[in-house]
Formats: sequence, C-alpha cells, structure tokens
Amino acid sequence: MSNPREPLRRVVVVGGGQLGVLAAIALRRALPGCEVLVIGTPPSPAAFADTAATAMPFTNKLHDRLGLAEADIVTRAGGSYRLITRFSGWGGQGQAGAVAYGETLDPALKTAFARDWGAVRLPGAGAPPVGSLAQVLAEAGRFAPPPPGEPTPLSAVDYALRWNPAAYRGLLIDSAEALGVGYVEGMIDRIEPGEGEDIAAVGLAGGGMIPADLFLDCSGPEASLIAAHPAFAFTDWSASLPTRRIYCSQPGAPMAALEDRITLTGLGWVSEIAGRDGLQIMLGTPAHVPREDALALLRLPARTVIALTPGRAERPWIGNIIALGDAAARFEPLGPLHLDLAHRQLALLLEMLPGRDISPLERKEYNRRSGLMMEGVREVLALHFAGIEAQRVFGAPPLPGRVAAVIDQFLRRGRIPFREELPLLGQEQFALLVALGWTPGMPPAAQAADAAGEGAARAAFEAEARAALAFAPPYDQWLSRVASRAPSG
Amino acid sequence: MTAPESSPVRVVVLGGGTAGWMTAAGIARLLPGLASVQLVESEEIGIVGVGEATLPHIRGFVERLGIDEAAFMKATHATYKLGIDFRDFGRIGESYIHPFGSFGEEVQGVGFHHWWLELARHGKAREIGDYSLAVAAAKANRFRPPSQDDSLGSTYGYAYQFDATLFGPFMREFARGIGVERHEGRVVTVERDGASGDVTALILADGRRIEGDLFVDCSGFRSILLGQELGVAWEDWTHWLPCDRAAAMPCTHATEDLRPYTTATAMPAGWRWQIPLQHRMGNGYVFSSAHISEEQACEAIIAAAEGTPLADPRILKFRPGRRAQSWSHNVIGVGLASGFLEPLESTSIYLAQMAITYLIELFPTTGAVDPRDRDEFNRLVDMEYDRVRDFLILHYHATTRDDSEFWNHVRTMQVPDSLAGKLELWRRAGRVEKYSDGLFYDASWIAVYVGQGMLPEAHDPRAAMIAPDALARATERLRMAVTGEVAAMPGHRDYLMREAARLAEAA
Repeated sequence: MSNPREPLRRVVVVGGGQLGVLAAIALRRALPGCEVLVIGTPPSPAAFADTAATAMPFTNKLHDRLGLAEADIVTRAGGSYRLITRFSGWGGQGQAGAVAYGETLDPALKTAFARDWGAVRLPGAGAPPVGSLAQVLAEAGRFAPPPPGEPTPLSAVDYALRWNPAAYRGLLIDSAEALGVGYVEGMIDRIEPGEGEDIAAVGLAGGGMIPADLFLDCSGPEASLIAAHPAFAFTDWSASLPTRRIYCSQPGAPMAALEDRITLTGLGWVSEIAGRDGLQIMLGTPAHVPREDALALLRLPARTVIALTPGRAERPWIGNIIALGDAAARFEPLGPLHLDLAHRQLALLLEMLPGRDISPLERKEYNRRSGLMMEGVREVLALHFAGIEAQRVFGAPPLPGRVAAVIDQFLRRGRIPFREELPLLGQEQFALLVALGWTPGMPPAAQAADAAGEGAARAAFEAEARAALAFAPPYDQWLSRVASRAPSG
Repeated sequence: MTAPESSPVRVVVLGGGTAGWMTAAGIARLLPGLASVQLVESEEIGIVGVGEATLPHIRGFVERLGIDEAAFMKATHATYKLGIDFRDFGRIGESYIHPFGSFGEEVQGVGFHHWWLELARHGKAREIGDYSLAVAAAKANRFRPPSQDDSLGSTYGYAYQFDATLFGPFMREFARGIGVERHEGRVVTVERDGASGDVTALILADGRRIEGDLFVDCSGFRSILLGQELGVAWEDWTHWLPCDRAAAMPCTHATEDLRPYTTATAMPAGWRWQIPLQHRMGNGYVFSSAHISEEQACEAIIAAAEGTPLADPRILKFRPGRRAQSWSHNVIGVGLASGFLEPLESTSIYLAQMAITYLIELFPTTGAVDPRDRDEFNRLVDMEYDRVRDFLILHYHATTRDDSEFWNHVRTMQVPDSLAGKLELWRRAGRVEKYSDGLFYDASWIAVYVGQGMLPEAHDPRAAMIAPDALARATERLRMAVTGEVAAMPGHRDYLMREAARLAEAA
C-alpha cells in the first residue's frame, strides 16, 4: 500500500525578487497547508532572473497555472508583447534574420524556405522570405493576443510578454500576500546544519533562527545559501561563453514594438528590448573592451555595469536546498533565457515536489533534468559565438556539448538533432541559426520533395498570413486602448 | 526542384525479409533520384517473419510511403490493436493491459497515478485500466479510430496485428512497383576495397556481381555483412533477457470475438503470445532453452492453443542483444542483423523502422559516408535499443513469481544500472524517469509497474489534499465518461467489416 508522503510544513525562499516571490506563490498554491516564507534579501543588480523585463512563452503557461492573469500584467505591470527577435550583423554586415516562437511551420514550407535560405543570394536580392506568421504581423505592426479557447487566424502565433520588473514584482507580491505567503526583510548571517547534507535553519542578522523543511535559494549570483554548503561545486563556463561585462542602460523612450533586437557590433552584442516605459539596451563585451568605448556604444546612460563569470551549480539541489535562477546558473542576458530557465526549473520542482523526507534518487533525477536544462541554455548561447563574425569580436571559444555536431548537421542536412530539455524547440533553433547567418543544408528526403506540395504549402501560408493581417488590429492602437484601462496609481 | 548533381547512390539491400523490403521501399520512395535500390534475396533462405504485432509508429511509416491503410490491412489480414494484455506476469492469476494511451489525466500538475494510489489507499479505486479509454475499449472488444480533437476520445493510439509472412511480400510488391530491382540468389563472396575496407560488391552463387556504394544488411541473425564480414562485435543481453527461442503455431479463432489487442501470457520458462488476425490466431511460446527443451515448448503451445492448430509448431532461434555499432564502414544493419529484442512489447518492426528513418535523415547523398553521420546514427540506434531493453527487463523483474527456475532467475537477477535507478525512484516516490526521446514514456512504465503489482511506498503529498469522497466522485465521473465512450464504439469485427465494405465500394 502506497501512502501519501508527509507534506512539507515550511518552505523558506531566500530572495525577494520577482523570481523568489513567484516561487513562493507556486509552492503555496501547490501546498496550501505549507507555510511559505520569503526572506527578502536585497536582490543583486547582477541577478538577471530578478531584473529581467521579459521571458519566453513558457512563462505565460506558468502564469496561467499560478492564476496570474496576462491582462493584469498588461494593465498593471506595463505588459507588452514580443512576437519575434531580430538578429543583425551576426552573419556579417547587412545580414539579418528573425526568430519567432513555436513549431507551427508546415514541414513542406520549411523545406521551401530552407531552399530559399540555402540559395546563394545575390547582392540586392533583398531579404530572405518571411518564415513565420509572427514575422508577417510584427513587420506590419498588427497584433492583439487571441482570445483563448476559440480558433482565430492568430491562434497559432506564440508570443512572449515584457513588463516593468518593479511593477510586475508588485503584482506578484499582491498575489503572494493574498495567498498567505509570509515575508521578512533581512540578511542571513548563519546556517544551522541538520541531518546529513540538510540544513535545519537559517539565522537572520540581528534576529532569530528560521527553521524549514526545504529552502529555495533565489538570492541571485551570490547563491548565499547553496554556495555556503560544503558539498557545493561550481562548474565554470568561462571557456565556452566569452561575455565578461554587461552594460545595462537606463530606460530610453517608450516603444511599442512587436520585435526586440540582438545585434552584433565590433565591440560586443547589443540587446534592445522595447517596452511601454522605455527601451532597454544591454551591451555584452569581452573583457578587453575599454569601458568608455562600451559606454559610447550603449547610446543611453548606463544604469549598471556587471562583471560576469558564467557557470552553474554542479548540483542545484543539495540536501534540502534548491537553487533557482542566477543562484543555479550565471550567464549573459543574450536573449530572455534567465527567467525561462528559472521558471522551467521551478516547474520541474513542482512536478517532482518532494515530501519532508527527500529521497536521494529524486534529488538525482531533479539534478539530471535540471542540469540538462542548464547545459541546454549554454548550448543555445554558444551557438551565438560559433560564427566567424562573433569570433572576430569574442575570440574563438571551444564549442561545448553537442554544439559543433548540431551546426554540422544543420549545415549539411538542415537537421537539428534532438536534445532533451532545451530552451528552444527544433524549429526555433533552426530559425536562430539562420538568423545568425548560417545556411542550412537540405534534408535528403526534402531534395526529392515535389514542387507542387511546396507550392501548395506556400499558397496556404500566404492565405493564412492575409487572414492574420486582416484579423489583427494595429498593435500600438490596441495596446494604448488596453493600457488606458489600467487602474490609476 | 533542383536536380541531384551526381548520379544516384547505389544502395544494395541484402535480405528480403520484413526489414529488407521495408528498407528498400523506404529509400526508394523517400529518396527518389538520390538513391537507386537493389535487393538481393534467396528463396532458399526462409524469413523469420517477426512482428505480427506492431506499435502505433507503423502507421506513420505506412502513411509516409503513401500506402492506403485499408488496402494494406486487407492484404495482410490485419486487425486493429489497442495494446497488450499481460497475464500472469506479476503473479499467476493477475493481468493488466498496457494500452497505447494514457490513464486518466494530470490534475493540478500531479500525475493521475498519484491520485489513483491515494484512492486505492482508501479502498475506493477500481483497476487503473478502468480509467483508460484504450484499456476499456480493448476489454470490450470494441474499436474506433481516435478523434482528432483534445477530447477523451483522442487519448489513445492504435497499431495493427497482421500476418508477418504477408507484410514482407506486400512491401516487396510496393517496392518493386517504385523501381527497386530484385536479385534472386545467395551471396558467396563479399568484395571489399583494399584501402578503405568498405564493401564494394556482393558476388552471388551464379557469379553475378552486385556493385554498390552503400550496403544495408538485412540478412537477419546471420548478419552476413556487419557481423560476419566486418566482424562488428555483438553485445549479448541473454543474462537479462534469457529467452532465446520461440515455438510458433497458428490456429483457428476459438470464438466469434476479435480482440483488438495482443495477449502475452507468462509461462513457466517464458511467455506466449496470442495475436488475433482476421483469418486466424497467431500463437507462440517464447522460451529460454536453458530452462525447457524445444519439445516441451512445442507441447506447451499445442496444449495452450484455444483453436484448432493450422500447422505444426515451428521453432525460431534468436539471441537478445545488439551490435556494438549498427553502422560500420558503408554497411548499415537494419533489423535482426543489427540487434534483437524479444517480441514482448512488439518492438521488432519499430526498431527496423526507426533505423530506416534515421538512415534516410543521415543518408550519404554523395555516396561517401561521413563519419559524423555514422556516429550520429549509432548514437541514436544504441539509445533506442538500450531504452527498450530496460523496459523489457522490467516485465520479468517486477514479479513475485517463484514457481520455476526461470522466474526465480529473472526475479533475483542484477538489472542494468540504468534500470536499477529507475526502479528505486519509482519505489521511493512513485516517479518515472522522464525522457522525450526513445520509445516508452511515463504511461507505459506506470502501466507495467502498477499492472505487475510493483506499487511505490509513497506517492505525491498533493494527492492527499482532496477529501477522499470528492476524489472518488471525480474519478468516478471520468470512469463513467470512459464507459460511455466505449459503449458508443462499434465492435472490432464490425468496424473491420465496415471498412472492408467501404473499400470494396471505393474499388
């Protein structure tokens, strides 16, 4: 006879940033009988999962599951929509490409596009064909999120949200309070060991000890809890991820755009994230770029400059401590992978939610899958630095994991080998490599594909695109109408 | 359309069994212009004809080749299959169906089996199969293709049970119709390039020389090219999967009912299959020759057959394991030449199909093999074999049977490390190691664990947070919905006859 495991009685979340509060909400909702307490250690400016103004489509699903309404994020947290990310310069001067979300493209159409992308393009031949409905909409500036549950010409379009991090965090805190999540301010200055690798309690500076069954370390790159554990080990990613300094701008002018941009320049990469309360620019450089050159390139005044040593916790779950976000993995904000990773790891924890007695094998399985997620992020980032143009700026780091094999298969066969727990779907990786300037090869079976099938797929796509454009309102008008419903204050 | 720049790659398939003709048909159909296909087979050498029962993946293969399902089913006397009924595995007298489908659904992020375990604790659970549409339909001998929406009616898949001795010839006719050239003859010499060691030609007994760029070894266990010629090592898995023979014997149907499922019944030294086809029932006793003799196995299968035997039992010999590499030089093994896992979960045709699919993805379009493609092929094939292997071992190991030496051996043997960890995670926390790649996912593992009485010690704490009565009411609603869906389905035989009538009309 199987018995339910004794549920956790108290969980302490260290870190009161947007990640820690969301994790607290998730645990409290999963275990309504469990006390959840957030220790609001001040978030580090280098905690990218806490300062991120955007995530990926997975986060929308997590929000849904946790009862966080997208409409609230739009009306109360400056929410806006991204359909595509445009990459420029990665394949040389003038080269560009867009990456949309999802895996909705008809395989025959993908073949047709691959053929076009693969063809040698003469100068002045224009941009390669648009590869997604999302790109059609983004370039026309038309979109509104389709109502869930009913089929519309926009239903196949996946999107990511952006927001104002401070306002978003406020929204989460309201939700956490309503659920009865506890909160204390303070710094942890001592740790009381427990049985085996567990810890029994953490002590607040100038305060008492706080015992718990499970501790979530959402304290940012300092990893104040897990890094203090004797069994903690850090796997350094410096050899494969070359960004060493991140310059973050102060917000620029508000910008309603359905696309964000990631551009390769001679000094490093520049990420531009649009938003209702201002464009945000980040610049990532290798170590040798002089500060003044970098600041000049940033265009906007700098808010902060962050030095980065990338890497990850070898085991993000040790004893009864689980690290999430920058406490688990540190890497450059080259695309919105920080919150995406943290939220996927959080969902894994919810899936594998332990009882009070944690089995070493469940820790091992969590660490296996969580490790695959982190290595997947490293592989996706490393794709950015594999091209000649990027290597002119960043040097030629060795390619980690299966990156070289993936690029090889892509170049020769238009094939993306499947890997478990990656942040991007196969089609998204395909589009990313194209946007980074690589030219896909043709899959053998596609070389024999019939032109009629491709023509039909193309015609179907064009019809879908027309329907989507006719259905979608002008995005800026729609957004200002929705935003004006925002409660005052 | 871009025309291929070079002349087609000359593919030579050795062996005209199921794997050989599937390979020839697949390459000829999906790589026209890129490859020319010749197949060498000998009527002197019979075929094993494995895989009377299949997995849902076969449908994708048949469809991709552009073969009409109804015509294909008619030609192979096929029936529909919703899963496998395992009898006497965990304990004599107990049975369960491993369905092509799920049990219940995840609620609040907690898998259905946790809720079911909680209900069971309160004595309120029915068999877990009662919450699976595929299982309930199978038990009622009913069938209808799944719906295409997200409703309960979409929560299962189906495969076929067909006459394997007709499937090969069906694929042969199809392949020859799309340009595969057949050579009748026995290979006496394999010619190889002195420098590279690659195979260059097969010399037949009558002196004909069949040249090629790429050779696919579908010669069965003899593995003439990969094993004998190239000497690629065989990894033997007999210590985990001791069955090495089968005594196969068809018989008539004993009842009017046509089961939309395969039956696997554990026996003192292995297990026996019953596979219902349109015109007969396939039977076979898969056994370990270390534990009983061939004569004993033949007697047992004659005694067990429910209908009138249609032939004498035929002995098939095999050994579980796989080649260290399934692709070496310019030779690719597909089917038994590459590896074998006993038919307990009907994986034989899947494993051939999987290798063919990867070969087409990684096909050397210039005729020259790139070692990177070969490595990728071997990585994928090895992973598939190893994951299926662990799942099969589970069926033997998760037992309380102690009524024969065979069961004592498999119950107490040391399992591979990759399986031991999975078992322990299940025992301690009711969790299944998760993969998105490979063949058997969570629902399959749960079906076998629960079906064979290996219940975990503990389940998800969240399952106890709903009052048992409320939980019982919710699961009862699900069960009623399943029952209602099944009641609306036609009988399996009726559905088959209706399809046959539709096909006749269309013709």
